[in-house]
Amino acid sequence: MGNEISKTREAAANPTEYAREWKKRTGRPVIGYFCSYAPVEMIHAAGALPFRITGGDREIARSGAHLQQYCCSLARTALEGGLSGELDFLDGTIFTHTCDTMQRLSDIWRRELGLPFHADFILPVRFSCELAFKYMLEELKDLRSKLELFLGEVSNENLRGSIEIYNKNRKLLSELYDMRVASPALVSCRDSLMCVYSSMIMDVDENNAFLGKALEDLRSKEGNESCADDYGNVGKIPLFGSGSVMNDWEVLRILEEAGGTIVDDDFCTGRRYFEGCVSPEGEPMLSIVKRIWERDICPCKHRLLDERAKRLVLQMERSRANGVLFFLLKFCDPHFFDFPYVVRALENRGVPSLLLEMEQGSVSIENIRTRIEAFMETMRECH
Amino acid sequence: MIFAGVDIGSLTAKAVILSESRVIAESILSTGHNSRLASRKALDEALDLAGIREEQIERIVATGYGRLSVDFPAEKVTEITCHAKGVHSLFPDVKTMIDMGGQDSKAIALGDDGRVIDFVMNEKCAAGTGRFLEVMARALEVALTEFGSLSLESKNPARISSVCTVFAESEVVSRIAEGASKVDIAAGIHSAVASRIYAMAMRIPVREPIVMTGGVAFNMGVQRALEERFGTEIIIPEKPQHTGALGAALIAESRAKSA
Repeated sequence: MGNEISKTREAAANPTEYAREWKKRTGRPVIGYFCSYAPVEMIHAAGALPFRITGGDREIARSGAHLQQYCCSLARTALEGGLSGELDFLDGTIFTHTCDTMQRLSDIWRRELGLPFHADFILPVRFSCELAFKYMLEELKDLRSKLELFLGEVSNENLRGSIEIYNKNRKLLSELYDMRVASPALVSCRDSLMCVYSSMIMDVDENNAFLGKALEDLRSKEGNESCADDYGNVGKIPLFGSGSVMNDWEVLRILEEAGGTIVDDDFCTGRRYFEGCVSPEGEPMLSIVKRIWERDICPCKHRLLDERAKRLVLQMERSRANGVLFFLLKFCDPHFFDFPYVVRALENRGVPSLLLEMEQGSVSIENIRTRIEAFMETMRECH
Repeated sequence: MIFAGVDIGSLTAKAVILSESRVIAESILSTGHNSRLASRKALDEALDLAGIREEQIERIVATGYGRLSVDFPAEKVTEITCHAKGVHSLFPDVKTMIDMGGQDSKAIALGDDGRVIDFVMNEKCAAGTGRFLEVMARALEVALTEFGSLSLESKNPARISSVCTVFAESEVVSRIAEGASKVDIAAGIHSAVASRIYAMAMRIPVREPIVMTGGVAFNMGVQRALEERFGTEIIIPEKPQHTGALGAALIAESRAKSA
């Protein structure tokens, strides 16, 4: 991708630097969130920057006293970032109740970081009955009033404005993904996932401007893919990526070097983040809940027993991928509970897959390289 | 035509030279701290043994964890693909292979045509590798070469419950303090290794026959413990450390032919 993308790359590679600079530049508050279910448009409507917190390459020193080793590296390294002062630009945090670790992390976070604002957005576990829908709506209303206490009134008009801006962001990211499926050589999977990640870090207006230009640039290169990107993406084996948080750019680089590329995914820092728009019609709160309700579900939530497997197969086939790469965070129970039946659904269709157990910040890179390369070798049937 | 395969593992570097699909020379030496140097030495030694010059080699494939650091022109293929190729050439019926090297252990499922259909590897943990056995042999003050056969004498294996190298070592010290014999502790250790490998291997479809490779294949104690676990014979090639380099050389040959 051209120069337009360099800003999104920068923000994705140095998210804390971006947030700190944004805060200095605008004088406005930054509200952190951990999960793709967080109502970013509401944070935006309240005048704050919604900032996606993930783990990172941080040595565990302080957080080890609060979270056991069997908690995922996302929780452990994110808490380390909070305790070490690396996230000191945060004015508050919204925790979305997904897994047990995240719920308990919320308590530790509130007590140990003592940020001016802290709220829990308690989602129902089952996304399948009217009562759960109503409950979610009430929770969202509660979150709105908590945000208003801290940041002032969030008017419906502002909320509608933010919904429109975020819908634009979602459409742009969706276009980028469509473009990749149609022509994987146009842009590397690393760049495309960095674009999604940057949209969770950057001011959404700014991000929309960069994405719009980047897409224009890509469109001009359609049909001439051989010179489209920096990674020589031509001829790579198209794969589908499955998992939760996937912002390990080094691993994606290794995948591309090994001759593979991710053409579509269900990461919560990928398609699950931007999938579906909030209806601009009607009551905005109801519309926000509807989008969360209808979107591809996180394995922490339940709708139908075989929904995730069916959805994965459908998405994979639609993306014309030749196989699936699972990037699952070690100790992520919700994902690992789903894994056996999801893999079985793929095996029944003869789809090859590889499970990579990931750890934020401390992945054993040579080991991962060997696995990825071996998987690519089996895909190519080179021997 | 002459082809070479070089396998640079964490503990040893191996080279195999093929001429007209026949092995004409093999070498093995310690990798040491410099895998680039070790791969060069392994190749040179094999060339000397074969009495040929490097220029005569048509194509080289490098494999093993040091595959990216070789200083001679070579294609890079992972040890998973190479081991499978090497073992399949020796045992065309093989369906599962277990490779236990210095730092890695892996299980590979092979299709009827010898292709890799699935594989699983250990991660950041030395349990179930050659290094684990080295540490345990040292804790028991037994020579590594005798460690396996010693365990075969046991009638009452001690229970070693931990799969962590560090904790297992302290468990061994506790068993010694409790008065358990070296023989029984050694048997317990081998059984723990076999359990670890079995648990890992069961993540892929395990079918017979099973072949074991890597330096640990020289250890009869591990072989027997694995046979008990899997309930079947574990076949060991004559030179279990060389199958990766052999497979690499065979891949070099087949790629040259299909080019």
